[in-house]
Amino acid sequence: MTAQPGTIGVRIQAPATEIAVQREVATTIEQSSAAIEVHELSAYYGAKLAVREVTFNARQRAVTAIIGPSGSGKSTVLRALNRMLEVIPGARISGSVRFHGIDLYGAEIDPAAVRRTIGMVFQQPNPFPTMSIYDNVAAAARFNGVIKGRQAADDLVEACLVRAALWDEVKDNLGKSGASLSGGQQQRLCIARALAVNPEVILMDEPCSALDPIATLQIEQLARELAEQYSIVIVTHNMQQAARVSDETIFMSVDEARAGYVVETGSTAEIFTNPKNTITEDYITGRFG
Amino acid sequence: MTASTAPVEPTSPGGLVRRRRLSMGDPVLAWGVRILSWAALAAVVVMLIDTALNSAKILQHESILDFLFGTVWAPASTIYGAVPFIYGTVVSSVIALIFAVPLALGASLLVNEYLPARIGGPVAYAIELLAAIPSVVYGFWGILVLVPVLRPIQLAISESPLGTIPIFGGPAPGPSYFAAGIVLAVMILPIITSVARDAIRATPRLQREGALALGATHWETIRHVVLPFARGGIFAGIILGLSRAIGETIAVLFVIGNQPQIHASIFSPGYSLPAVIAGEFKEANQPFHPEALIALGVVLFVLSFAVNVAARYVVSGFEARAGGADVR
Amino acid sequence: MSAETLLRRTSAGRGRTDRIVFALCLIAGAIALVPLAAVLYYLLAEGLKAWSPSFLISKPGGITTKGGGIVNAIIGTLEMTGLGLVIAVPFGVAVALYVVEYRAGRMAIIVRTAVDLVAGIPSIVIGLFVYSLVVLTMGHFSGLAGAIALSLVMLPIIARTSEEMFKIIPRRLREGTMALGMPRWRALFAIYLPTVAAGIMTGIVLAVSRAVGETAPLLFTALGSNFVVTDITQPMSALPLYMFQNAQNIGFPAARERAWAAGLTLVAIVLIFNVLGRWLASRTQIRLLQR
Repeated sequence: MTAQPGTIGVRIQAPATEIAVQREVATTIEQSSAAIEVHELSAYYGAKLAVREVTFNARQRAVTAIIGPSGSGKSTVLRALNRMLEVIPGARISGSVRFHGIDLYGAEIDPAAVRRTIGMVFQQPNPFPTMSIYDNVAAAARFNGVIKGRQAADDLVEACLVRAALWDEVKDNLGKSGASLSGGQQQRLCIARALAVNPEVILMDEPCSALDPIATLQIEQLARELAEQYSIVIVTHNMQQAARVSDETIFMSVDEARAGYVVETGSTAEIFTNPKNTITEDYITGRFG
Repeated sequence: MTASTAPVEPTSPGGLVRRRRLSMGDPVLAWGVRILSWAALAAVVVMLIDTALNSAKILQHESILDFLFGTVWAPASTIYGAVPFIYGTVVSSVIALIFAVPLALGASLLVNEYLPARIGGPVAYAIELLAAIPSVVYGFWGILVLVPVLRPIQLAISESPLGTIPIFGGPAPGPSYFAAGIVLAVMILPIITSVARDAIRATPRLQREGALALGATHWETIRHVVLPFARGGIFAGIILGLSRAIGETIAVLFVIGNQPQIHASIFSPGYSLPAVIAGEFKEANQPFHPEALIALGVVLFVLSFAVNVAARYVVSGFEARAGGADVR
Repeated sequence: MSAETLLRRTSAGRGRTDRIVFALCLIAGAIALVPLAAVLYYLLAEGLKAWSPSFLISKPGGITTKGGGIVNAIIGTLEMTGLGLVIAVPFGVAVALYVVEYRAGRMAIIVRTAVDLVAGIPSIVIGLFVYSLVVLTMGHFSGLAGAIALSLVMLPIIARTSEEMFKIIPRRLREGTMALGMPRWRALFAIYLPTVAAGIMTGIVLAVSRAVGETAPLLFTALGSNFVVTDITQPMSALPLYMFQNAQNIGFPAARERAWAAGLTLVAIVLIFNVLGRWLASRTQIRLLQR
C-alpha cells in the first residue's frame, strides 16, 4: 500500500460517513509539514506544574520520539496531544496544541473527535477482555455504528490486523478473547484497534516497556512501517529505541521545581551525534538518567 | 509453661508455609479451637435435622405432593397447601426486582460515573447506611404511609381499561402483592446499588482510557467496557437483593394483606412464605398447623438456598468470560 | 469543508445519546432516593412527637393512653444482644481461627460452609429452629431463646470479619514468633490478639447493628412482653418487638406515636453502630463483605 501525496489514511474499505469526510478534507488541507504544532504548552495536575512551556512540531508521516529521564513529563505531554490528559481528575493545560492549524482545545472541538483523529497506544496493552479479537478491532466501528453489514466489518478487521502484522497469527482464532494473546500480540491488537478508527496521527506511550525484546523489535518495525502513512509520536525511556525508530527527537528533562521542560529538539541524527546542549549530551552518553 | 517444641513443619524457601497445624505449642488452645468449631458445626447440623424431622411430621397428614402443590390453605379444615405462599413470595420478589434493578443500576452509574467524586462518595456511603435500616421500620412505614398512597393508584388502574388484563384487575383494597413488591424494592435498592457500584468502580482505568482513546463517548465507554466488566458483580448484587426479598418477613407481613389465596391480580392481597409463618404461628392450634408452618419454613430455606447456588454458577460463568476464555 | 468541521461533533447523535443516558441516570437516582428520604422523614417527624429522654426509661403504659416508654424493650434488647454476643464471639472467633489455620483441610471447608449456610438462612427460619430446640425443650418462651437466636444471626458476621482479620496478619509476624521459639498460645495472646482485637471488634459492632434490628428471630423465642423483665428465662421485649406489637394497635394514635418513637430510637442505634463498624473496618483495612 503506497501513500499518495495529498491523501491521509490507508485504503481501508470502510464506507463510513466520517471517514469519507476525513478523506475529502485531506485533499484540501494545506500540505504543511507539521501534523501537530505545540506552542508553550504547560500542564498542571491540580496546583502542581507538571510541564512548562513545551514547544515543538511533530512532522507529518515521520516518527517523532520524546525521550528523557523519568518524571520529565513525557507522557503528560503526549496525553495533551489527543486530549487524554483531561481524563485525569484535576489535570489542565495552558498554551496551545494545533492540528493542521486548528486549536484542539477550542470551545467547539469535541474531544472524542480529536481522539478519533489522533489515536493512542498505551504502555500496558489493554485489549478489552470481555470482547473477542474480532470485536476488539471492530470496537471503534461499533461505537460509530457506521459499519454496515458483516462484510464491511470483516474487511475492516482483516485490513487492520494485516496492517498491524497480526493477521497471520490470529486469523483462525478471531473469536478468542482479546486477553488470551501474548503481550506483544496484545499490543499489536491495540495498534490494529487504533488503526480501525482511521486516525492521522498515532501516539505511543512507551509501547514496548511491558514487552519482551522480540516483541519490542516487532513493534519498532511496525512503527517505522506505519510512519509511511501516519504521523507517529512515541514516548520512550529507551534511548537506543529512539535512535532506531525515530526521525525527529525531542529531549525533555526535569528542572529544580520538578517540572518538565524541553531541553532540545532536532533530527534524531543530530541529537544523537551532535547535541547542542550539555544536558542532552550528558543524557545521551549516559552520565545521568 | 515450658516452651515445648514439637516438630515444626518445614517451610519452603521464601517463607511460604503451605500447611500449618495448631498442634505445636499449647495443645489446650488447639483443642479449644477445634472443639468450639466442631460444636458450632454440630449445632448447625442438629438444627437442620431437628427442623427437617419436625417438618416431616406433616407427611403423616398429607402427601408431599399435596403439600407442595396444594393450592388451598385452610387450617380450619386441616388442608395445607404451599402454593399460595410460594406464589406470593415469587410475585412480590419479581415485582421488587422489576422496580429495583433499573433504578439501582441508574443510581450506581450516577454515583460513580456522573457525579463528581466529592458528591458521589458521600451519597454512596449514605446509600450503604440505608441498607441497614431494620425491616420492622420499613414495614411500619409501609402500612402507614405507602399503602394509603398506593391504594388510590391501584384502584384507578384496576378500574381503568388496563384493568381488563387479569394482572391489573380485581379488587384492590390496598395491601397487596404490589404493595409488598414496592416495599421490598425500597429495601433491596440500597443493597443492589452498593454492590453494583463497587463492581463498576473496580473497572480498571486502563480499560476505560482505552475506549476513550478510540474516540468513544462517556456512555459508549460505560456500555461497551465498564458494564461488561462489572457484569458479574452487578449480578451478584441483584442476587443478594433477591435473597433479601425472598426471606423478608416483617415488612411483607405488614403490607401484603395476609390472605392465603392465589389471585391473578397483583393488586389483590396475598401472603408469602416468611409472612405466613410469622403471622399464623402463634395461633396455630389446629392439628398439624405448626408442622405445616415449619414445613413451609423448610420450603423457604430450600428456595433461598437454590437461588444462591444457581447464582454462584452464573457469577463464575461471568468471571470465566472476563478472564480470557473463549467468548464465542 | 475544513478540518475544523471535521473536529466538531461529527456525529450529533452520539453526543445526544450521552446526554440522554445522563438524564435517565439522574432520574433513576432521584426516584431511588425518594422513598428512602420519605422513610427517614417520617421517622423523624412522627418519631419526635412521642420521643423524649424519659421515653427511654419509662415503662409502657396503657395501649390507648398517651405517654409510656420503652424501658422494657431497651432492657430486653441489651440483655439478649449481650448474651447473644457472649455466645457468638467465642464460637465465631474459634471458627475463624480454625478456618484460617487449616485452610485446605476437609473439616475446615465443612465448618466454613456450615457458617456460610447460616448466613443465608432467612431469619424467620432461624427463629423456627430455636423454637423447636429451645422453647419446646424449656416449655416456654424466654429471653434465653431469643439470645440464642440472635447469636445465630451474629455468628456468621463475626466469623467472617475475624477470618478476614486473621488473613491480614502478615506472614512475617507469624514466622517471627516461630523463629523466636514462642509457643503458639503465647504468641496468640501477646502478639496476634491485640492486632486482631480491632478486627474482632469490628465484627462485633457490625453484628450488633444487625442483631438489634432483627424482629423475626424473636417472634417465637422471646415473644415479647409489656412488663419490665430482667429474668432471662422469661419472655421479654426488645425494640423491634415493641414496634411490631404496637403495629397491631395501629388504630390508636398514642400507640402509633410510641411505635414511631421506638423506631427512631432503633434506627439511631443501628446507624451509630453501623457507622462505627465501618470506620473500624476502614482503619483495620478489612474488606467488608456484603451481607
